[in-house]
Amino acid sequence: MTAPAPTGGPAAIEVADDAQSGSSELDPAAARAVAEHLFDRGWTDGLPTLPATEDEVERFLAHTDRDPDEILARLPQLDKQATVRDITVHAIMAGCRPEYLPVVLTAWEALSADRTAIGGAWQSTSGPSPVVIVNGPIRQRLELNSAGGIFGPGFRPNATIPRAIGLTVRNSLGVVPHELEQATQGVPGRWAQCFGEAEERSPWESFATELGLDEGADAVSVILARTSEFVDNRHFNDPIEVLRDFADSMQRTGPWIFPTSACLLVLNPDHARVLAEAGWSKQDVREWLVEHAGKTEAQLAAVGKALSRGDQRFDDDHFHPVFAEPTPEHLPIVVGGSPNAAISMVVRVFSRWPGKAFRIH
Amino acid sequence: MSTQQILDPTISSLSTQATKPASVAGGPLRVESLDGLRVGVLENTKRNAAEILDALADGLGERFDLGQVVRRTKRQFAMPFSDEQLQDLRDEVDVLVIGVGDCGSCSAAAVADGIALEANGIPAAVICTDAFEGNSRAMAKLKGAPDFDFIVTSHPVANLDDQGVRERGRALVDDVVGRIVASAAAGAAR
Repeated sequence: MTAPAPTGGPAAIEVADDAQSGSSELDPAAARAVAEHLFDRGWTDGLPTLPATEDEVERFLAHTDRDPDEILARLPQLDKQATVRDITVHAIMAGCRPEYLPVVLTAWEALSADRTAIGGAWQSTSGPSPVVIVNGPIRQRLELNSAGGIFGPGFRPNATIPRAIGLTVRNSLGVVPHELEQATQGVPGRWAQCFGEAEERSPWESFATELGLDEGADAVSVILARTSEFVDNRHFNDPIEVLRDFADSMQRTGPWIFPTSACLLVLNPDHARVLAEAGWSKQDVREWLVEHAGKTEAQLAAVGKALSRGDQRFDDDHFHPVFAEPTPEHLPIVVGGSPNAAISMVVRVFSRWPGKAFRIH
Repeated sequence: MSTQQILDPTISSLSTQATKPASVAGGPLRVESLDGLRVGVLENTKRNAAEILDALADGLGERFDLGQVVRRTKRQFAMPFSDEQLQDLRDEVDVLVIGVGDCGSCSAAAVADGIALEANGIPAAVICTDAFEGNSRAMAKLKGAPDFDFIVTSHPVANLDDQGVRERGRALVDDVVGRIVASAAAGAAR
C-alpha cells in the first residue's frame, strides 16, 4: 500500500477563496445543493453522501496497488459487478478518507469469497448486515475503534467503511430497497457494523492469526449477521456461568430457521480475561458452547420450528445442537469493546461464512 | 467553483457491464396442448414447493395425457440456472413449471430462470407469491423482458397444511394451463 499522506480536507472540490484576506470559505449552499442532487438521483442510503469526481477517485486510488479495473464485487444472478474503481466511487460517497480504501476493497474481496453474499444475501428477506472485523496495526493508523462502543457511532472509519459496502450494493449491484432488495425488516445497524479486534486486551492470538494469517498482519474478515443480542453478565462467580449465559442467547429460537446455524461471539476484554485466567483457550470456549447450546425437538415444535420433516423424525427429547462443529466457521470468537463492564455480544450469522481473514494490501 | 462532473455511481467503469439481456422475443411461448409432452416441474427446496408442484402435476395429468412428468430440484434457490441445469432441462423437458418463489432472492431467480428457458424455446410457467411480485417484476425488467408473464399466488405457502398444499396445487392448474397452453379453453373442456 502506498504510504497515506495526511488528507484532511476536500482536495478535488475547490472552495471559494477569499484572496484579499487569505482565508478560505466553504459554501454551505453549494454543499446542500450537491447533497440534494445526490438524493434526487436515488444514489444514497437516506443520509447525505459526498460527490465522487474523477480527481477524487484518482486521489483515493493512490492508496491501493490494486488494478482499478479488477472486478471485486459481483452478483451473477443480476449480471452485475463492481470494479475497484466503482467501489472507490462508493467509498468517496460514504465519507471515507482515502486511506480507508484498502479496508473497503479487502472487505469486498472477503464478501466475494462468501457463498452467501454472492448468493441471495443482498436480496434476502433477512436483510443481513455485513460485520467488518479488522486486525493489525492498520487499526491505529486509521484510528479505527476497537475499544468502547464498537457497535455504536462516533468513529469515522467504523461508520463509513461498512456504509461504502451498502452503497455499492445499492448502486453497482442494483439491489435497491422495495425493488430487488426485499428485507422484511432488516438487521438494525445494517451497513454500520465495523470494528477492530481489541488485540491489545485479548489474552489469545488474534482472530486473523487464528484464521491462518501471520501475527501482526493487517487483515479484514466479514461475517453476515442476522441478529445481535447483548449479554450483560457482570455478577458471575464462576466463568462457567458466563458460558451458560452465552449458550442461552445462542439457542434462542427467534432466528433459528436452518437445522444448525453459526454465531459470532464478540467477547468484551473482561470476559475474555476471566475465561483465560481460568485456563480456557479460545477453542475450549468454543467447544463448551458447541456442546451445550441447543434445543430439544419438543422445544422447537412448541414454537412451530420442529425439525421432523418428511422421512426424518426426531423424538421429543432429541437435542438439536445450534452448531454443527466447533470451528471458527461455525463459532467465530473475537475480542472487542471496553473492559469497563462484562458485556458481550452474540451475533447470529446469516447462513454460513467461509472462516477466512484476508490480508489488506 | 469546481465544474467537475459528479460521477454516476450506477454506471460501472467497466465497459463490459452492459451485458446483453436474454430478451424474449414476442409474447410468452405457448404449446397447443400438453398431450404427449414432457412436463418438467422444478422445485426450489422452499417449504411446500415440491408438494405444491406434485399436486399441480397431478392436476395437469387429469386434464392432459402427459407424455411424462420430469421432476427436478434446484438446491441453490437464490441463484439462476447453471449452464448444466439449463442444458439438462433443454434435453429433458418440453415445458417447465418453476416454483415456488416465496423469498426475495428465490422469486427473482425463478423469473430469471423462466426468461432463460423461454429464450431457449421452452415455455415456462413461473410461480411466485404476491409478496414478491415487485422484485419479480424488477428482475424481469433487468433481464430485458419487462412483460414476462409469471403466475402470482397468495403469500405465504410455507405454512400450508397437507390439505392446503393440495388445494393450492390444484388451484394453480388453470393458471399454468392458461400460461403455457395456447388453446387453454380446449384443454379445460376435456
